[in-house]
Amino acid sequence: MTEAPDHHHSPVTVEFLSDWRNASYNCFSSGHKFCREVCPVMQVTRNESWTPTAFHANVVAMEKGELTVEDVAEDYVNCTQCGACELRCPNTLFTGDFYRFRTRTVDLVKQMRALAVDNGVHQPGYQRWNQLTDERTHEPVLGEVPVSQEHVRDWSAGLDIPIGGETILFVDCEAAFYRTSVPRAVAQILQRAGVEFGLMREQWCCGGPAAEMGYRDQAKRFAEHNLADWRASGVKRVLVLDPHDYITFTEDYPAYFGEDYEIEVVLVVELLAKLITEGKLTPEIPIERTITYHDPCRLNKRKGVWQEPRQILRSIPGLTFNDVDRVTQWSYCSGGGGGLPVEKPELTAKISENRLAKAAELEVDTLVSACPWSERPLSAAGEAHRIDVVDIHELLAESLGIEVGGSRGA
Amino acid sequence: MTIAPELSDRVLTELADAIGGEHVLTSKTARYNRARVPAPFPVHRWPERVPDLVVLPGSTEEVAEVVRIANAHRIPIVPRDGGTGLTDGAVPEHRGIVVDVKRLNQIKEIDLENRTCTVGTGINALKLNEVLAEHGLIYPDDPASYPCSLVGGRIGTSGWSLVGSRYGHSRDLVLSFEFVLPTGKVIHLGDGGGRKISKSSSGYQLKHLFMGHQGTLGIATEATLKLFPKPEAELSPFWAFPDYDSAYRCVGQLARAGIATFAGAVLFDEWKVDYLRRDDEAYIPQPADVRALVCAVAYGYEDEVRAGGKRLLRIAKDCGARYLGDEISQGDWAARHDRYATPLHGRTRSGQVAPMSWHCEDAAINYTELPGVRLEWHAIVERLRARFDVFDDWGMFCYTSANTGVDYLTEIDIGIWEQELGDEAWAAWVDAKREIAAVALRAGGSISACHGSCREGEVDLVPLELGGGYDVMLDVKRAVDPNNIMNPGKYGLQRAYAAERGAGA
Repeated sequence: MTEAPDHHHSPVTVEFLSDWRNASYNCFSSGHKFCREVCPVMQVTRNESWTPTAFHANVVAMEKGELTVEDVAEDYVNCTQCGACELRCPNTLFTGDFYRFRTRTVDLVKQMRALAVDNGVHQPGYQRWNQLTDERTHEPVLGEVPVSQEHVRDWSAGLDIPIGGETILFVDCEAAFYRTSVPRAVAQILQRAGVEFGLMREQWCCGGPAAEMGYRDQAKRFAEHNLADWRASGVKRVLVLDPHDYITFTEDYPAYFGEDYEIEVVLVVELLAKLITEGKLTPEIPIERTITYHDPCRLNKRKGVWQEPRQILRSIPGLTFNDVDRVTQWSYCSGGGGGLPVEKPELTAKISENRLAKAAELEVDTLVSACPWSERPLSAAGEAHRIDVVDIHELLAESLGIEVGGSRGA
Repeated sequence: MTIAPELSDRVLTELADAIGGEHVLTSKTARYNRARVPAPFPVHRWPERVPDLVVLPGSTEEVAEVVRIANAHRIPIVPRDGGTGLTDGAVPEHRGIVVDVKRLNQIKEIDLENRTCTVGTGINALKLNEVLAEHGLIYPDDPASYPCSLVGGRIGTSGWSLVGSRYGHSRDLVLSFEFVLPTGKVIHLGDGGGRKISKSSSGYQLKHLFMGHQGTLGIATEATLKLFPKPEAELSPFWAFPDYDSAYRCVGQLARAGIATFAGAVLFDEWKVDYLRRDDEAYIPQPADVRALVCAVAYGYEDEVRAGGKRLLRIAKDCGARYLGDEISQGDWAARHDRYATPLHGRTRSGQVAPMSWHCEDAAINYTELPGVRLEWHAIVERLRARFDVFDDWGMFCYTSANTGVDYLTEIDIGIWEQELGDEAWAAWVDAKREIAAVALRAGGSISACHGSCREGEVDLVPLELGGGYDVMLDVKRAVDPNNIMNPGKYGLQRAYAAERGAGA
């Protein structure tokens, strides 16, 4: 009574399976699924098919000819690529195995999605999203309202930011078109501190989301465009306010361009914390809010950046700060990452609702985030709790007496 | 033997009406991933264990409705909780429907006065303890799978807890539970009929009967649990010994001392120390003259742990132990307990590293029998290794099961290179498991202290272990599950339905 195995994998699938074989067995054969309860998707679905373990086990079944890429592709939508599972994995908790093994579930999900695309298996939402991104050179973050190259700098109206220069500020699609208050806050704080910077000459989407959804060629094409534009205009340093861009520029781009990649990538939150320490920025206007801080997954879990945002928040007078430690926050997420809202907006909403319920327990009126992509779903979930979702840069600008302007989205 | 019929559209429609179509899963990935538990089961025969479909009910009533449908159509059912068990309880042997209860994960009540909480059985203890911590309480059921196992699975397997010598095991910590019988009838089981009663003399003691049955008698859906004050202090001294015998003497003395805060002691034999030294990057290296280790743990208020700890340290010193110091003790306890480290690789006979899965054979053995059982077990694995170069002996742990040192959870950890595992090596492995279980029985022990004894090999010896009690098991199974739909094939219980069997035979 067994199902007929299918041994007809395409060459690209065979290569993928050989790459992931041992890592998948290592996960498959361990009974200790410590990843499961920290996974934001698992928390709201309780569906074992959508766990880091299943993502590895499927590879074992594929290698045995039991499953095909067509069988498994759709399951891999259910991941925000937050990285919690990797932190919790017994293989990662210590310093990695003696043969340098480390669990890489986020990479596995990205590569499985790419494998699906390479085999002509598309998720309709992903396909449309990336097609529109390709046509417009920016992500369709405003839905039916088109985004375009000529409007990518509209957020900076009236701020007199030059084009080009050695240091540029790169603004992600969500912040540039939807939550324009964030880049306006960042730009004005940098101006206040005397940091010289310009805007990119011809900015396209960073390509990270395409890479996350499996559209590798497009991701690389966008990366090549951006790097060429930086080089042509003499850019040496790129400031990023968005954690997703930070991952793309510090992980994806070096993988594409290798040794030749010479661009210095600076995370704005880290830069601002430094400027405050050096006394170049002093927030003085008290802000009477009771807040907690949402650790963006890509900063806390994937990059280990959790101290600087707290340092900034503690420098702002008037705040009552009910903090939750970063390890507890391993199991928190907005659900806004990894393309999840593109295919499964209802799951994103549930994950954000979970996060806001945690914030509500702390009796706060404000949840502070540092990631534009999290702020849309978190804000929607915040309405029921009457919790305002504010970006850390917006809050800092306010305490510095800056009239930010722009839009906080909806 | 009940054979599942083709799952007709009618059954699918009934299930979808009962629990909602989105909670009836038929995809291959959903079914394949519900056939897996910690390896090996064996992986090269994975397709034989795949269910026909998976359901994710959201309440006791939905579970009952699913069971009623399955019973009416004579379709096998396999309950699944965390799927972290080590005896394949959650693996379907005859396809059918996997009833995955992970959605039943609500905390329904925390009763601070009576010190209980009532939860859905799909909840994980670590997640529960995150909430209980706000009240200064803890639910101290502490298996190696603590971060991922679920309360229902602990009931279905009658789980063993690392700190059970102080707080008791699942059977002591679970006061009562809602239970769906194979006919779909819902009953409440505990000590007596109350929800929050820890000791009753009223009627048969049914709670024990409906724990540890590996899903053959029904499905627990809601449980009321006993809570304790969250301990202020944890002490986990590690001691080194030049040989097994002195470590063994020490562990006996520690367990027999009767210290109130004593939560357990662990003995690492020479094979285990060698293996950790060789292959476990989480192990803190020791000088070569360290051949065996003992650790003890104590939990409680700081003053009582301090006093009890002094006594433990004195006992160990009198046994010739060398205390390894606070840093190593805390670090190694974190590695063994918080992470339950298994490196997931081992060695072939020539010393070549290979990705291997961890497999653990356990037994309940009295203190006096431990040394003999240990040598016999290592010899069995040695013979196995000599024939097939896909097995590795990762050594043995012994853990106190109770507060007096009467018996120990004894385990031998074996690495299996599953990628190279074929039918012949698998058959030899099953024989070895049978031998390992036979050694435990000859020593007057039990085949399993912790996992259950459902897997191929050891399961054959369960009737031998239980004797007339096994016949009672058959009678109970037939009475409770007249159509043999609940996890059929486990524990050889299909024998209950053989035509020649009369009642009490």
